[in-house]
Amino acid sequence: MVTKTEETQLNRLENQVDNGGGGAWEYLCLVKKLKVRRPEKVLKHGLSILNDPKKRSSLGPDEWTLYEQVSIAAMDCQCLDVAKDCIKLLQKKFPESKRVGRLEAILLEAKGLWAEAEKAYSGLLEDNPLDQVNSVLHKRRVSIAKAQGDYSGAIDLLNKYLEIFMADHDAWRELAEIYISLQMYKQAGFCYEELILSQPTVPLHHLAYADVLYTLGGLENLQTAKKYYASTIDLTGGKNTRALFGLCLCTSAIAQLTKGRNKEDKEGPELQSLAAAALEKDYKQRAPGKLPLLASALRSLKIS
Amino acid sequence: MGELRYEISQDAYIKLVLHAQKHKAAAVNGVLIGRVSPRNDDVVEVTDSVPLFHSHLGLLPNLEISLILIEEHYSSQGLFIVGYFHANERYDDAELNGVAKNIGDHICRYFPQAAVLLLDSKKLEVLPKKIDQRPVMQLYIRDASKNWKLVGSDSGSRLVTKEPAANTLLLDYITTEKWQGIVDFDDHLDDLSKDWLNPELFK
Repeated sequence: MVTKTEETQLNRLENQVDNGGGGAWEYLCLVKKLKVRRPEKVLKHGLSILNDPKKRSSLGPDEWTLYEQVSIAAMDCQCLDVAKDCIKLLQKKFPESKRVGRLEAILLEAKGLWAEAEKAYSGLLEDNPLDQVNSVLHKRRVSIAKAQGDYSGAIDLLNKYLEIFMADHDAWRELAEIYISLQMYKQAGFCYEELILSQPTVPLHHLAYADVLYTLGGLENLQTAKKYYASTIDLTGGKNTRALFGLCLCTSAIAQLTKGRNKEDKEGPELQSLAAAALEKDYKQRAPGKLPLLASALRSLKIS
Repeated sequence: MGELRYEISQDAYIKLVLHAQKHKAAAVNGVLIGRVSPRNDDVVEVTDSVPLFHSHLGLLPNLEISLILIEEHYSSQGLFIVGYFHANERYDDAELNGVAKNIGDHICRYFPQAAVLLLDSKKLEVLPKKIDQRPVMQLYIRDASKNWKLVGSDSGSRLVTKEPAANTLLLDYITTEKWQGIVDFDDHLDDLSKDWLNPELFK
């Protein structure tokens, strides 16, 4: 997960490098640090350094981590020959390395040789399956299942993985996303509950949880969703458009469900009015052309 | 009602495929905009499309908001949401999943002749080697029992691009990476100044 500032910084650097302004090494380090997926750029700029002997030698020992980074990007772009060449060089330099062994296994995955890749990972995991260092290998096995369309297998493996490595937030999010794509919303909700418990100040977890609850529907879920949209708005200083819309949708849906009930069960319209006002202000500032559309959309939500 | 046919404009068609190209590692979706042809009841003209999301396709709130805003915009032009486009995450996944079917069902409630289009990654991959005028999409229509059925090999005549050279233009845009400029609803929600109408895309 990347913040807006980090993304802007990354894009600026990317533009700079793309247009010949230098900074390729800084760019590659930033991509690595933020763990974003930009394989074509990494491949292009990484190779420009590695193929230039002067630039390569100026990296010193970092040369080898660059080979690793470029080989993974190459595999992501299906440039398997480039990947093979990088891995060969790494094998020569680090002959007994398990880290290089991992790259060889990923290459098998890239080739679609699932059984061989699975065997390679199991072999690498034999000595120390519970070691933190090997957590990545467990996750590669999940991606093999996913790549073959075996979603129930992937879910199974991920759940087993999370029993051991329960603080792995990325894994919880991946599991939630698989559940959502299979419309298993309750289970997705459980994942977001875990994430909110361990990272209560990360607004994205509150937002995703609210979205899942809204999707599940029913009065109780909608009321809880409204609370989590509200907490997202709180944590983001009112700047999150999705949460503002979500709040309006919730209020509207709750009003529909509680039509004709006692006044005590009904909620006041203040929260929705505040959210609507915030949205109108944002649209006025950033997308004034769309303001009339927003206005009539909000009207239709209030009326229902 | 005779057999329904769908004629999709080159802009609408290319926009959807470019959207899928921009987010190769994810599932993406979009809606088809158009109307029943005034000249022929059996033809649905798809005149435009709006790329929607590239994450959490199975969640409702953002979908509901996008549909409200999109309907508002196009109704003033006498156009409606006439179908749904979906591209799966994996290259060799040619199935229409539950999310796609549910969204298709929802759209059918307002436009009964709605179609669902599924990106055919294999057809798209072969295109540069052997140009074909047929769209690189599979057509799904609801049968009498409201199940989504793939319209078989003769879908070549039931789903056509209005402009015959659409695929040639598509390949050109893919080569020049025109997909970088595509804005979807996810992008708009992250940054309101990004316009999901993509007004400058084909200028």
